[in-house]
Amino acid sequence: MRGPHYREVVDTGPRVGFFEVHSENFFGRGGVPHDYLERVRRDYPLSFHGVGMSLGSVDPLDPGHLQRLKQLVAIYQPDFVSEHLSWGSFGGRHLNDLLPLPYTEEVVDHLADRVRQAQDFLGRPIMVENVSCYLQFEHTCMSEWEFVAAVAERADCDILLDINNIYVNAHNHEFSADEFLNGIPAHRVREIHLAGHTVKRYEQGAIIIDTHDHRVCPEVWSLYQRSVSLFGPRPTLIEWDSDLPELDVLVEEAAIARNIMEGAGHARVA
Amino acid sequence: MPGLREIQERFSANILDAGAAEILRDVKPGVFEPGLRLQVYRNNVYTGFTEALRAVYPVVEKLVGGRFFLYACNEFIARQPSGSGDLHDFGSEFGPFLAAFEPAGELRYLPDVAQLEWYFHETYHEAGAGVLDLEALGRIPPEQYERLRFQMNPASRLMKSKFPVVEIWRVNQEDFCGEQLVNLDDGGVQLLMIRCGEEIEMHPLQAADFKMLSRIARDDALGDCLRAAQDIDPDFDLSGFLPRFVANQTLVGFAVS
Repeated sequence: MRGPHYREVVDTGPRVGFFEVHSENFFGRGGVPHDYLERVRRDYPLSFHGVGMSLGSVDPLDPGHLQRLKQLVAIYQPDFVSEHLSWGSFGGRHLNDLLPLPYTEEVVDHLADRVRQAQDFLGRPIMVENVSCYLQFEHTCMSEWEFVAAVAERADCDILLDINNIYVNAHNHEFSADEFLNGIPAHRVREIHLAGHTVKRYEQGAIIIDTHDHRVCPEVWSLYQRSVSLFGPRPTLIEWDSDLPELDVLVEEAAIARNIMEGAGHARVA
Repeated sequence: MPGLREIQERFSANILDAGAAEILRDVKPGVFEPGLRLQVYRNNVYTGFTEALRAVYPVVEKLVGGRFFLYACNEFIARQPSGSGDLHDFGSEFGPFLAAFEPAGELRYLPDVAQLEWYFHETYHEAGAGVLDLEALGRIPPEQYERLRFQMNPASRLMKSKFPVVEIWRVNQEDFCGEQLVNLDDGGVQLLMIRCGEEIEMHPLQAADFKMLSRIARDDALGDCLRAAQDIDPDFDLSGFLPRFVANQTLVGFAVS
């Protein structure tokens, strides 16, 4: 849920299962964002999704950041708290982006340790999300799905699986998205993200950029369908962060996801 | 094999310090050369920061135009790295940066407009407060007035400018209809900004009221505040001041020390 939709969400109460917000959008001590979030909280479950904890950085975790998140969690009691498998700062300088990590044993250990630190501080579990990326490191020595599964296993935490990010990376790094899905332990997948992206064309070919400014594309819907059959129905979020459409568009997209989940449910029953 | 520390050091240097090239050797080449892949990240990082500044400083952008704003943002981002994982903290120094930014030197009012917009951003995210308990205030014995300290609403800011910044801000709002003309000779303003619910109000103040609130804001005792205000206006008295600034929720509490 983004600022321009706050009022409409509160006024119209759209038929969706939950709302997710970027935790940092509520790091202020109060004000307009909190006034709305309190009202949304009365009618919907909440999920807090962080973009700034910098789990993968070698910089120490910022206790101020964790404290602000802890306060939010205490006030709103969200169903989910999640962060990204990425890094965002070095030497105290923040790039405020979800930057890529090498897939190595060193990094799996580092992330597992940091997830545990964050969970201990917050006094509750967090989920970790796979990110889009536009490069791979030379010394990477495992696939991304092995990496994600290993972090979740070693930290004993759940996974927020972003299907669009899998699609983006499968294109950008030429692997099979299905192989990715098959490599993820189903019992750890607690939430799913869907989003739109942008194809950027160069002379040599195309890179897909994870822009969150379009509808979910047909290929990602198909991949979602396969993930539902693999993992079962999971709370599913439509992410849209720039060039925001009318709220109705987001509600429509959420309804498509719900239909796919219900379809899969019937299929199993039948 | 480089460790995670080396990777992050080289990567951030490439993005923030004008393309330091060491990281390129650590990136797998493929259809796209490593430099282009890093460029995708540089674009994302700079776009993220620029969008954050654009969200806080729409009037500055309108005053200087989109292209110049982008240029100023790029210079600012390169000189003032973000110090927080929360992007809302980024950009507090944009006003002082603009004051020293020579290409914007002709627009002398620009730094103050930026300061006004930053205060807007702060009060939007700041906690509100209840109403001052007038009955409790009435029970304070007069001999303790001298040592009273009032508390300002956290969602309020005081600002002084040599320029008519409120007027400049007002005529540059999206919904403003009319002549976008401001006479810079109209003089400066001493301003109280306060958020009430969703609305952020701006109240131009008399010099004595401004002095009084400035002293309260720095936690001076009432006697000292009053003498400072009366230095400016000998007729200043509390019976006019207090009801007004309690009613508009600028003063939200008090203590005797």
